[in-house]
Amino acid sequence: MSDFDFSVILDNLPFLIEGLGMTFLLTLLAIAGGLAIGTLLALARLSGFAPLAMVAAAYTNFFRSLPLILVIFWFYFLVPLILGRPVGGFYSVLVAFILFEAAYYSEIIRAGISSVRSGQVAAARALGMNYWQTMGDVVLPQAFRAMTPVLLTQAIILFQDTSLVYVVGLKDFLVSAELVANRDQRLVEMFTFAAAVYLVFCLLGSYAVRRLQQRFAT
Amino acid sequence: MIVLDKVSKRYGDFQVLTDCSTQVARSEVVVVCGPSGSGKSTLIKTVNGLEPFQGGTITVDGIDVGDPKTDLTRLRARIGMVFQNFELFPHMSVVQNIRVAQIKVLKRPEAEAHQKALALLDRVGLGEQAEKFPSQLSGGQQQRVAIARALAMDPIAMLFDEPTSALDPEMINEVLDVMQELAAEGMTMMVVTHEMGFARRVADRVIFMDEGRIVEDAETDQFFGTPRSDRAQLFLSKILHH
Repeated sequence: MSDFDFSVILDNLPFLIEGLGMTFLLTLLAIAGGLAIGTLLALARLSGFAPLAMVAAAYTNFFRSLPLILVIFWFYFLVPLILGRPVGGFYSVLVAFILFEAAYYSEIIRAGISSVRSGQVAAARALGMNYWQTMGDVVLPQAFRAMTPVLLTQAIILFQDTSLVYVVGLKDFLVSAELVANRDQRLVEMFTFAAAVYLVFCLLGSYAVRRLQQRFAT
Repeated sequence: MIVLDKVSKRYGDFQVLTDCSTQVARSEVVVVCGPSGSGKSTLIKTVNGLEPFQGGTITVDGIDVGDPKTDLTRLRARIGMVFQNFELFPHMSVVQNIRVAQIKVLKRPEAEAHQKALALLDRVGLGEQAEKFPSQLSGGQQQRVAIARALAMDPIAMLFDEPTSALDPEMINEVLDVMQELAAEGMTMMVVTHEMGFARRVADRVIFMDEGRIVEDAETDQFFGTPRSDRAQLFLSKILHH
């Protein structure tokens, strides 16, 4: 075991990058979908229309009470059942991530919207802007600005959580690294490398969060 | 143009407004004053439906504000409002602040809205500040931008809710001057303010409120000369002699 051979990384780089691409693709699509649905959930909860607010609250509390891995399993078996045909690991996992993340994002966005002064809404309404104009042009741009650091933190967690897709046999970065590790019997090298890659991207993300917080603090 | 008839409003058990009746004619300037908590800000916000009310009626240019069938959004686009804390949109430049509702609400072409914004900025003496953001302006400048933003909608009347209360003393006059010019041009105005000098110079009528009621509603000269109610006299003696 003393002869570490890190050339295994270079030799398999295209394969590993492909896996990393899957990790990033899942992360980005889950963020985009999660933000879209999360925003609607937040607006529903703040709508003042009790039935809508209750449905949104129930959704949020439901998904936040389940382990992510359970949701992934669940959709892996559920989505094909609903559609009546297999959809493949990628789409079922993507749906699971989006719906799961939406619950967390909605809480962040709700706090962000609440942080916008009520006078801003009054000013927009006084100018004759309707609900969607007020939200789209005045409230949400300010809310998203205020919550960017928290959203980015959530994105970092999501980036790590995508490694859970191994349970449905999807080849993300960690699975690719593991395949190489087992095939070439280079477990220490490959898992060290994988850890380093996750570490670098997450540290970069954390650094961006700190920078943004400093910028918004002034 | 603005008619309030027995307007009443409650927050739960708390009666904020009781039977408030008054009128503002076209081109008239009416100042609303009174101690804090007397309901004057609430009253002015009922005029464009920002504050709902339970009793009485308000009509603006013949449109019933309290009627559930009234398109409040459309009505508000025709009534300008200026707030105590300016409420400029901080993520937009000055010129964008004045453009946004023209484009989104009035559907004006972008170029026309831009020209209008620049012309109004010139008019309030801020032609040089178009590309700045609100946070880069003084309070007095921000409030003048807010007035320009309201004027960009070509309002039939303007509501001012304590427009100078959040300003440092040296900036109050630059805002009052703009308002005085507006009044001179014949704008219909309802102004909640403690600036009695402005009221004396500019207002046609003064309304005095206390505990949610309109206690006095008089011609300006009469109000400052011989107010009929004791409470208005007491208020004036306090506010004019400090």
